Amino acid sequence: MNKIMIIILACAAANYLLRVLPFFISAGDNIPAYFKRFLDYMPVVALGALIFPGIITSFPQNPAAGIAGVAAAAMAAWFFEGLILPVFASIGVTWFMLQYL
Amino acid sequence: MQTRTRSPFINDSAEGVKSGVPIFLGYFTTSVAFGLLAVSAGLTPFEAVFFSMSNLTGAAQFMAINLISAGAAAGEIIISVVLLNLRYFIMSASLARKLGFKRAYRKLLTAFGVTDEVFSVASLKPGRVSGSFMLGLQGISWLGWGAGTLAGVTAGSFLPRSLQDAMSGALFALFTALLVPEIKKSFRPVILAGAAAGLNTLLYYKFQISAGWSIVISMISVTAIGAAIFTDNEEENQVERVEAENE
Repeated sequence: MNKIMIIILACAAANYLLRVLPFFISAGDNIPAYFKRFLDYMPVVALGALIFPGIITSFPQNPAAGIAGVAAAAMAAWFFEGLILPVFASIGVTWFMLQYL
Repeated sequence: MQTRTRSPFINDSAEGVKSGVPIFLGYFTTSVAFGLLAVSAGLTPFEAVFFSMSNLTGAAQFMAINLISAGAAAGEIIISVVLLNLRYFIMSASLARKLGFKRAYRKLLTAFGVTDEVFSVASLKPGRVSGSFMLGLQGISWLGWGAGTLAGVTAGSFLPRSLQDAMSGALFALFTALLVPEIKKSFRPVILAGAAAGLNTLLYYKFQISAGWSIVISMISVTAIGAAIFTDNEEENQVERVEAENE
């Protein structure tokens, strides 16, 4: 089995365990407030770490193309709902910069 | 005398499917993006669809794709995914109380499809929520996520090379699009996400830590400090909001 299939199966097992355990053990009644906040802030923190420096390292030959793409996505997301438009805006801008600049 | 009423199973699961149509549409469009990106990250179409069908999780799948293409080790990827999805534990705990299932197969089946959106719909539904309703609601959500991925990988294999290159940035566009609505609501996410971005960049460039571990370290340390500093609940989290509305 290749590495990607192992990762997919391990992630599936981990995700299922997180979801199924509370159905069989009574948990979640007395979760400390600190831990609740920890869970609350985690997704936003993760997004920050996921965007930088990944966007720079993904385009070693032309980092500006990646950054311009993210800027276009941010603008699209600011004015419109949904995820598809920002993604297409970013692909368009990055593609243009890789082709012509 | 023959009754013409449909069985509770058909009735409830049909109602679940109906409640799940908006989720289906949202999942379908998002997972089209996942399918496109997964193929450009080097997954086979089968792996991409299997990933969606077996994991049924949003941002964590995108994160895994990102780490796979950065060449991260399996351990780094799994720990990052667990950290990002710890919230499912709380959602399942809340949902388990609300549903009150007795039979093990109901618990095992429902647990698989606990997502942010399913959690909201099921928790906010007044009165008793049956296993058949959950089956309909989660079934249609699961199909949306899988079908969208399939559409994405199919579209992705027709794209020209130059567009595929540009698409390696699309993942970051997606992360940005997830972050921007949070930033519009309040300033705190700017500080949290900014600190994580800064620390991660520092760890990666200055201390030469691998991409996966530096993300894990940044996530844990910034969240731990943030949860200690920002103690006032500026806005309730999703579980609290839903539970408050039920009372």
